[in-house]
Amino acid sequence: MSGGGRHYARWELVTGGSLLGIVVLLALLGPLLAGHDPRFMDLENRFLPPLSPGHLLGTDQLGRDVLARLLGGLRWSLAAAFCATLIAFCVGTALGLLAARSRSLLGVAIRQVTAFAQSFPVFVLAVTMVAVLGSGFVAVVLILGLVTWPVFCRVVQAEAGSLFAREYVLAAEMLQMSTLRLYLRHILPGLLPSLSVLLAFHFADMLIAESALSFLGIGAPLGAATWGSMLQESRAYLINAPWLLFVPAGAVVTLVITANLLGDGMRRLLD
Amino acid sequence: MNRRLPPFVVWLRDLVVLLLGTTTVLFFLLRLTGDPAIVLAGPDATEAQIEAIRADYGLDRSLPRQYLAYLASIARLDFGTSLADRGPALEKVLTALPASLLLGGLAMLLVIAIAIPLGAWLGARRRGAARAVTRWFLFVLHGFPGFVIALLLVHVFAIELVWLPALGASGVASWILPTVSVAAFLAPKLIRLIEANVAAAAGSGYVRTARAIGASDREVLWRHAMPNALLGATALIGAQFAFLVTGLVIIETIFAWPGIGWLLVQSTVSLDFPVVQAITAVVVVNVYLINTATDLLQHRLDPRLRHRQALAGDQP
Repeated sequence: MSGGGRHYARWELVTGGSLLGIVVLLALLGPLLAGHDPRFMDLENRFLPPLSPGHLLGTDQLGRDVLARLLGGLRWSLAAAFCATLIAFCVGTALGLLAARSRSLLGVAIRQVTAFAQSFPVFVLAVTMVAVLGSGFVAVVLILGLVTWPVFCRVVQAEAGSLFAREYVLAAEMLQMSTLRLYLRHILPGLLPSLSVLLAFHFADMLIAESALSFLGIGAPLGAATWGSMLQESRAYLINAPWLLFVPAGAVVTLVITANLLGDGMRRLLD
Repeated sequence: MNRRLPPFVVWLRDLVVLLLGTTTVLFFLLRLTGDPAIVLAGPDATEAQIEAIRADYGLDRSLPRQYLAYLASIARLDFGTSLADRGPALEKVLTALPASLLLGGLAMLLVIAIAIPLGAWLGARRRGAARAVTRWFLFVLHGFPGFVIALLLVHVFAIELVWLPALGASGVASWILPTVSVAAFLAPKLIRLIEANVAAAAGSGYVRTARAIGASDREVLWRHAMPNALLGATALIGAQFAFLVTGLVIIETIFAWPGIGWLLVQSTVSLDFPVVQAITAVVVVNVYLINTATDLLQHRLDPRLRHRQALAGDQP
């Protein structure tokens, strides 16, 4: 890639990184900034428009502060997407390393599952599993992580496979380096660049999947402040209170674009 | 080891293994969570109804025997009866399938109709303000989840402007918003891929040769660069078509579109497990068929793949 591409990549990384910093700060300071309990209902002050005194982003159909719910939803979304991504990353990388060289039945099975999962509509599986296993933070995170690990597995398999054919890895093997040391010294560092790109994009996917689940009303528990449930509830009041749609929609889009900027920037840097 | 079997047998074997795997996972998941009779009977069932279900499904037998009986009934395409209306679960799913295929097909056509010219234009142009603006627009659009696009479209075109209906699947006017919602969130990926492929083709040897013997820009783009760019895009189009089901789950729910996505959410919320099971099986078969079609198409279109396979077939 030309110098312009690198320049553009740096711009993307700086923008995405600062946005992520702001977002994490907002999530950490959430309750302090909001000044309201996201569940507190003030039926006297329903549907206050944004910029009302005391309610920067207005109130919803039950008089709850939209800013407080937005920040509460931010915590939920960030934590859920982060944990789900981490689970998928750990399981996928471990199984991918296992399958990259193994000729055992397990290796074959992992490769088969990974190959099919590439085009399997995993979200259908996630919805089905929520139906069976129930909702709540732990269930959602586990389900999203455990149905999406093949994404990481596929990349690790392919990349590790090509790394094992490299001369420096062959040399290390011939020098009888222990398997653990070989993986830690040569294979994992070689995988790191493409894995970090994947992590960013997967985070965006998990964010969308999580808010979609709570939008459908099957992810978060009833009454919890999540962006998905805020979007769902806004649908009944679109005519009189469009900010109930615009605020959480803007939040989801901002966070997804932040992750996309980071992923895109890292990919450009690698090319 | 597959080379000794005829392709169709391998194909059928893989499909059976796949179905077996999916249904087995569902079978054990249902039993992991406690008493499946309670789940199967639904939330408002009485003790007597739960007992009846237990006897009906043979849940009083040992787990291995239950599993075999379950496999036998699935082999007969019997997924049980829907808890909502006591009709056969599979029939309910197959009734909903055409609506989903209509929406998916329309959206895919729209995506392809937009992505090919736009991708070609972006890939052939090196610089320019219009290109930069379009790329930015696509990057931002890529950040919009499908259901957010759908909600915003409903707000603008159904609530504010009142041009189009917000719900249902009756008449062409009601097809527009769901189709555009699905297409808008699939299109950016395909456009980017075609753009990258066209740009890569522009720097390749065969395009240089075509230029050298006097082909015009137009000819080079559409006769030489584009077929190759599309070849690379076939796999993505196939994967997207298979992946569409994911998008349809939410889009159909928003627009009350009577397809399998909507049915899945309805059955999930009401814990209508036989229907959920039947949907999963139907989706798996559909995805498998689409993947097969994509593979076949790629082999037809790409002489290199045919050649490689012929070579592989000759080897011992």
